[in-house]
Amino acid sequence: MSLFWIAIRQLAEIEEQMASSKKVITRGEWEKRLNDVKIRKEDMNKLVMNFLVTEGYVEAAEKFWMESGTEPDIDLATITERMAVKKAVQCGNVDDAIEKVNDLNPEILDTNPQLFFHLQQQRLIELIRNGKIEAALEFAQEELAPRGEENQSFLEELERTVSLLAFEDVSNCPVGELLDISQRLKTASEVNAAILTSQSHEKDPKLPSLLKMLIWAQNQLDEKATYPRINDLSNATLEEPTV
Amino acid sequence: MPSATINKHRPSELLSRLASDEPELKVRALRELKNQIIGNPTKKLSFLKLGAVPAVAGILADSIDEVTDNNNCNGNTSNILVQSAAALGSFACGFDAGVQAVLDAGAFPNLLRLLANPNEKVIDAGARALRMIYQSKLAPKYDFLQQKNMDFLISLLNSEKENVSGLGASIITRSCETCLEQKALFDAGILRKLSGLLEGGSLSQRDASLESLATIFRNNPEVISKFAGPEIGRPLSSIIDLAKDRYPRTRLLACMCLIVIRNASPHFLQDIGIKTKIIHILLELLDDPGQVGDEAPFAFSSLIAQKEDLQKLALEANAIDKLHHHLKKGSLHPRRYKGILLALADMCSKLESCRSKFLSLQVLNLVADALTDHNAGVRTAACVCLKSVTRSIKNLSAGYFMNEIIVIPLVQLFLDPSTSVQVAALGAVSNIMVDFTTRKSIFVQCGGMKQLVQLAKSMESAVRSNALWALKNLVFQADNRLKEGVFSELTASLLSSLISDPEPSVQEQALALVRNLVDGCINLIELVFAEDGYILGAIGRQLQCASKAEIGIQGMYALCNVASGNEFHKEAVIQQLFTQMGDKNQSFVIKFLQSNDSQLRTATVWTIVNLTCPSSPGAPGRLEKLRNAGIISQIKNMVNDPCVDVKLRVRTVLGQSMAFGDN
Repeated sequence: MSLFWIAIRQLAEIEEQMASSKKVITRGEWEKRLNDVKIRKEDMNKLVMNFLVTEGYVEAAEKFWMESGTEPDIDLATITERMAVKKAVQCGNVDDAIEKVNDLNPEILDTNPQLFFHLQQQRLIELIRNGKIEAALEFAQEELAPRGEENQSFLEELERTVSLLAFEDVSNCPVGELLDISQRLKTASEVNAAILTSQSHEKDPKLPSLLKMLIWAQNQLDEKATYPRINDLSNATLEEPTV
Repeated sequence: MPSATINKHRPSELLSRLASDEPELKVRALRELKNQIIGNPTKKLSFLKLGAVPAVAGILADSIDEVTDNNNCNGNTSNILVQSAAALGSFACGFDAGVQAVLDAGAFPNLLRLLANPNEKVIDAGARALRMIYQSKLAPKYDFLQQKNMDFLISLLNSEKENVSGLGASIITRSCETCLEQKALFDAGILRKLSGLLEGGSLSQRDASLESLATIFRNNPEVISKFAGPEIGRPLSSIIDLAKDRYPRTRLLACMCLIVIRNASPHFLQDIGIKTKIIHILLELLDDPGQVGDEAPFAFSSLIAQKEDLQKLALEANAIDKLHHHLKKGSLHPRRYKGILLALADMCSKLESCRSKFLSLQVLNLVADALTDHNAGVRTAACVCLKSVTRSIKNLSAGYFMNEIIVIPLVQLFLDPSTSVQVAALGAVSNIMVDFTTRKSIFVQCGGMKQLVQLAKSMESAVRSNALWALKNLVFQADNRLKEGVFSELTASLLSSLISDPEPSVQEQALALVRNLVDGCINLIELVFAEDGYILGAIGRQLQCASKAEIGIQGMYALCNVASGNEFHKEAVIQQLFTQMGDKNQSFVIKFLQSNDSQLRTATVWTIVNLTCPSSPGAPGRLEKLRNAGIISQIKNMVNDPCVDVKLRVRTVLGQSMAFGDN
């Protein structure tokens, strides 16, 4: 029985329990009820496919398609393109990423000033990281300063970024996190979401929402009953109710 | 190599590479240009100035001709078409100067031709570029009434490609204006297609469809009833569902569509539940940080404007608190700032309960701040908001608004470079002037009165009439000193020329100003006789050729007030009533007495009452003149006038005339 299966049935069972007013449910009772919950395999497969597609695991999605017969709800070719953009940003090749996004859909950056600014900002960070100080200053002046003039929050972020140049030891300065890989990942995630939205696809996979719902539902039921809980999502084992 | 080094010569160097004969080099240059301008308004402008748009349009034209001539489209040519269309589309995206340049360069028909190209990417690029053009008000007008155009539109909407069907919808949203066009679109079955996109389409198709539907429904109850009728509210319910969609933009567009429907046909969406739901959705959309949040207050205004029942519902939904909360945030985008201020203005436009809430939350200070904002639209909106709030008689009479925080910035706006700001400021000041305490001195002290007189000489008629309105309210029941001060600043010649102003609204306000000036005190009546009776003569002339009832009303009340004075005054008035006759044998008095407007009849009869008041020695003589002119018999016919005020005054006149022996 897959972990996934267990988690879903737990959720369905809890929702049913909320309606009744039992106080203590033994493990045996609980497992019996769980077995009675009907979950369709097709629904599970769709959730898995949705996860693979949204996160961009193309090859896994293709294989899963072949092996389970579940169709992806998005053209897998577009995933490849999207993943190329995401990867380019994660590697610091922002120019390349911008070109790829514009090839994919020129409207995305034209209608998304915040995203465009963040990509330009990342370019500046990469220039600073590579020690190209003069080029960085010129870039900041030519490309980013006009954006800062139009928008107060852009100006503040620009100033933060440029202040990197003022510090000798960048790894210890207050804005040092900008040079961190996490900044690249943040930008990459933003681009990914924008591309998904432009393709009318939801930018978040369904699976995390389901798990959040499970945790919330358990917390709610805790007020009414004692029952076997799933405390560790990664192994989805039912733990004995404490008496 | 990363293009981080910005060589100052680059833009023109790039443009020269565009002119290359090598297709590969051309494609590369186009791609580079496109990547430089996308997202970057500054670059768009600088390339525009260098003539990039005609250059790219030329490349597009040449390549399309090549396709037609050779009847094929090879890889390089396709690339050129895609990149040049994308570049043109980007120039047109959200940038009116770009749209104009693209149209001027003659690229529009060529972009249309791309839609027939076999290559999907080419079609997409063309459709996108055209969609960008149609988002601008500079887009060429689409003639829906020509059959081939309608057929083309239908083919666009039928396409499976999002960009192409989206283009069809954008064309409708931009170009459909008249009832005739709306009906033509309905007859061609377009509504059915659009509602199909609502239910089965992608996100962008749903959004585009909502906008188009709203455009077709606007102010057209007939089309709405045909749409909602036979399908028994099904399409309507899909729009209602979309108002609860997970995407904010869809929710906004759906609400806007429902509002258009309701404003055109109030019997739809009458359910209080629906109305409350829409109010809640719009107020919640204010939380959106982007464009959706900027537009939400405008949609809210269009829902509640002029409608007390909806304003009440919105008040109960804590609309004012929420709007206040957003106003407090500060650093608002000008569009959003303007929207919130106008929404507050609409909320407070009719209901005292809303104004009380507004004032109790201390929103007034925030609005006063907006009076000095650098954006003219924001300043105007702040004034409009103040105009609404200052309708609160309770607070006006407590002198709540006659303070420096409000009055001084408002007076400064009289000198604003923008006419609409001036007019809006005058509107707010006019209300504040109706101050039942006599603390108008603050206004005069800060030079406000002199400014108003200056504005009464403006070239813009709206400014003149609003300045006079404010002056009229300023002198309403004011003390003599203030009235004399205003009059000496204005001068008799200016006032009489304003009475004879070419614009009726200015004439009306000028006459009303005179009415208020001479009201109440005999000394002030002398004012109209200044400089050889300029003003009195102007009033008489204007009444003779009054173009609308309101002018007659104010003018007659002015004369009525003058006639409440002494013998000399009464004689002067009666002379005015008859002098202007000329070769018309009917005095305007009879015309006014026969008017449909009860206020005009009332004012006229009141004047006669004052002229024939028995306590003055000259009354019999005046009565005789009136009788000879047939005015008394006219009045006799009005004994049973439907308006009570008229009836009572008629009886007074007749009673007075009997005192002198009537036959």
